[in-house]
Amino acid sequence: MNCKVCGRETNEGDFCPFHARANENILQSYGLWKKGLKIPWKDYLREIQKNCLTGEWAREVAEYLIKNEEKENDKTS
Amino acid sequence: MAKYTLIVTEKPDVAARIAAALDMEGKPSRLLEHGVPYYEATRDKNLVVVPALGHLYTVASDKKGSEYPVFEFKWVPLYLAERGAKRTRVWLQTIAKLAKNADAFIDACDYDVEGSIIGYCILKYACGGKEADAKRMKYSTLTKEEVQESYANALPSMDFNLIESGLARHEVDWLYGVNLSRALTQAAKKHTGRYTTLSTGRVQGPTLKFLAVREKTIRSFVPTPYWTVTATVHIGNTILEVPHEKKAVETKNEADAIVKACKGKKGKIERIETKKFLVPPSPPFDLGSLQNEAYRLFKYTPMFTSKVAQRLYLDALISYPRTSSQKLPPTIGYKAILQKLAKNREHGNRARELLGKPELKPTEGRSLDPAHPAIYPTGNLPERLLDSAQKNIWNLVVRRFMAVFGDPAVEETVKASVGINGYKFLLEGRETLEEGWLHLYTPYTHSTDAPLPRMVEGQEVNVEKVASHREFTRPPPRYNPSSLLKRMQRQNLGTKATRAGTIQTLYDRKYITEQRMVTSNLGFEVVNVLQKHCPTLLSSTMTAELEEKMGAIQEKTETRANVVNQAIETLKPVTDRLKEKETAIGEQLSRVLMKAEQDERTIGACPSCKTGNLIIIHSRKSGKRFVGCTNYFTGACKTAFPLPQRGVVKPLGVNCKGCGSPTVQVWTKRKRPWKLCLNPDCPLKKGGGKPA
Repeated sequence: MNCKVCGRETNEGDFCPFHARANENILQSYGLWKKGLKIPWKDYLREIQKNCLTGEWAREVAEYLIKNEEKENDKTS
Repeated sequence: MAKYTLIVTEKPDVAARIAAALDMEGKPSRLLEHGVPYYEATRDKNLVVVPALGHLYTVASDKKGSEYPVFEFKWVPLYLAERGAKRTRVWLQTIAKLAKNADAFIDACDYDVEGSIIGYCILKYACGGKEADAKRMKYSTLTKEEVQESYANALPSMDFNLIESGLARHEVDWLYGVNLSRALTQAAKKHTGRYTTLSTGRVQGPTLKFLAVREKTIRSFVPTPYWTVTATVHIGNTILEVPHEKKAVETKNEADAIVKACKGKKGKIERIETKKFLVPPSPPFDLGSLQNEAYRLFKYTPMFTSKVAQRLYLDALISYPRTSSQKLPPTIGYKAILQKLAKNREHGNRARELLGKPELKPTEGRSLDPAHPAIYPTGNLPERLLDSAQKNIWNLVVRRFMAVFGDPAVEETVKASVGINGYKFLLEGRETLEEGWLHLYTPYTHSTDAPLPRMVEGQEVNVEKVASHREFTRPPPRYNPSSLLKRMQRQNLGTKATRAGTIQTLYDRKYITEQRMVTSNLGFEVVNVLQKHCPTLLSSTMTAELEEKMGAIQEKTETRANVVNQAIETLKPVTDRLKEKETAIGEQLSRVLMKAEQDERTIGACPSCKTGNLIIIHSRKSGKRFVGCTNYFTGACKTAFPLPQRGVVKPLGVNCKGCGSPTVQVWTKRKRPWKLCLNPDCPLKKGGGKPA
C-alpha cells in the first residue's frame, strides 16, 4: 500500500508513518476545537488547513481529508 | 648546533609565541626546512621549538579500499589516510630530523585530550619512541610569564591515562564512523551507480535524531484554539493592559462570559505583593556558554565563535577557550589582569572601579575542567587591529570577566491583583533597584524593567475595556546552532571541541538546511534506516556509557583494549544486518537522494507555459548549462535562460522584485555569492548591476 498523500510505502492503513502521525494529531485535536468553538468536523478541517501554525504534513492530510469527503459526498448525491 | 631540547607545539603560531617567550633576548631565530617553520632559542640550554599542524597521525584501516566491515586499524601519518593532508609529510620529516639531534623532549601542545594525543603521537612515531622520556608543559594562556613558568616547572611526564582514554575515543569513533558511513554510502552507490558521501557516527546519529524528532513534531503539529481576556485599566495617569488570571481560557463561551460580566464595571486593587531579590552575575564563560552568548548577541555559529576564540588565544589575548570550566582560580591573578585592562580606553573605567573594591571574589559556575580554568582575558591589549568578530568576542570575554566580580543586582517584582465583578486580573511589574554587575556587562544585558505605577490596596480603578482574543497553541521552535549545542551538552554528546564540527557536518551532508534547522528528506531517511536496522546507535545512552568507560580508563579501572573490543562486538551484528539489507537500504536512500538532486536543479514554475518547471540543464552537445522548461522535452514550451558557466548555482525560491522572473544565487570561488534574476531584460539590470 502507498500513502494517499505522498505515495510513500505504508506499514498499514492509508498513510505513511509521517502522515499517519499527522492524521492522529488531527483526530486528537478535534476534541479541543469542538469544545472551544462548537465547530463541525468539516469546518475544523478547513480552519486547520488555512492556519499558518499547522505543520506541513498535517495540512496535507487535512487537504486530503477535505477532498476525500467531497468525493464521497459527490458519490452519494 | 649542539644538543638541544626539542619542544613540540600544536600549531605554528603557538611555536612562535613559546619560542619568543623562552628566548633570553626574546628574539628566537626563525628557520625553515622545506617550508616548515621552527625556532631556535637560548635559555638555560639550547631549545628548538617545532610546531605540528594539529593532528599529524590518525586511525586508518589496515587494508586499502572502502569495503566494510572493517575492524582492524592502526595509527598512521595523516598524509597516508587523507587526500588533502599531503603537506603534513614534510612536516613529519622535519620533526623527525630535528628529533635526531635532541637530547630532551617537551610536549607543549594544548593541555587537553586532543593536545595530549597530538604530542604523544609525534613523540612516539616521529621522534622514535620518546613519549616516555618527554616532559609536559602545562599552560592556559600564551602570555610570556605563564609560558616561562610552565617551562620552568614542566610536569615530569605526560598524562598517559588521559592519552589512553583519548586514543580509545578516537578508535571507537573511527570504528563507528567508518563502518556505518561506508554501509550507507555503498548501499546508495550500488543502487544508483553514483557516489554520494553519506555519513553517520556515534555522535552524529543521535544528534540528527534530535533534529528529526523535532521536525516531525513541527510538521505534524495541529494548533488548538484558546482565548485570553484582558482588561484595559487606568491607574493614576497610566493605562495598563491587565491579563485575566487564567492565562488560557479553553472555550469561547467562557471567555465571552468573563467579558460580559466585567464590561462597564469598576475595578479594585485587591492585593499587592512586593518581592526584592538578588540577581548574581552569570558565571565566567566555558566554551559552550561563550558560543551560546555569541549566537544570542551576534548570531555567530558555534563553529565560527570557536575559531575566533582560538585566534584570540593564539594572540595571547584570552585564555585557552576549549574548556568546560566555569571556575576562575585566584592563581590567574585577578588584580594584575584588571590593572592591564585599566589601560584600555574602552574597559579602563570599569576595570578601575573593580580595582577599588576591597576584595575581588568571582562568582563561579558548577562545571569544572581539571585541565584549564574558565575563559578569561589575559589583560594583554591587542597589538594589531582586530577584525569586527575578534573585537566582539574579545570585548564579550572582557566584559563577562569583569561582570563576575560585580555585586549582585537588586531587583524588585510587584504583583497586584485587580478584581472586576468577582473576576481576578493579574498585574506584574519588574524594576532594577541596584544595577550591580549589570552595568559591568553593558551592552550585553537586556533590561526587562517594566515598573508599575504607584497604587494601594483597596484603590478603585477605571476599566476602559475588557476584550477576549483568540489565540492558538504553537509548535515547538526549530533548533538553531546554539540551542542544538546546548542539547548536545546536556546529553553529553561529543566533546566541547567536536560539537560545533558535528553540527557543520550535518549541514555539509545536506541532512539539515537553514539556520533554524530544518531536517531534509535525506536526513529523515538516514534516521529511518538507522532506527530500523540499528536503533541502539541513535540512542544517547550509548554515548553516556562510553563516556563512563573513558572515565574508567583514566582511573585505570578499565583498559583501552577492552573498550575497543566491546565496540567491535557491538558493531559486528549491526554491520552484518546492514550488509544483509543493503539493497533495500540502497533503494530507500537513492529515492531521496535523487529527489534532493532534482529539487536542487529545480528553479521554480515556468513563467511562460505555467505548467512546466524551470530546471538547470547541462547540454550534451555543448557541455554548457542553462535553465530550461521541463515541457521543452515534449515540445510544448521553449523557454530557456542563460546561466553563468562558472560557480555553483542554487535556486533562491523567490521571484525578482523587478520583473517577477525566478532568481538564483551564484557562488564562485573567492567572490561573494550574488543573486541573479534569470530574465536578461529585467528592468532592474538596466543600471548595469545584477540585482534580483
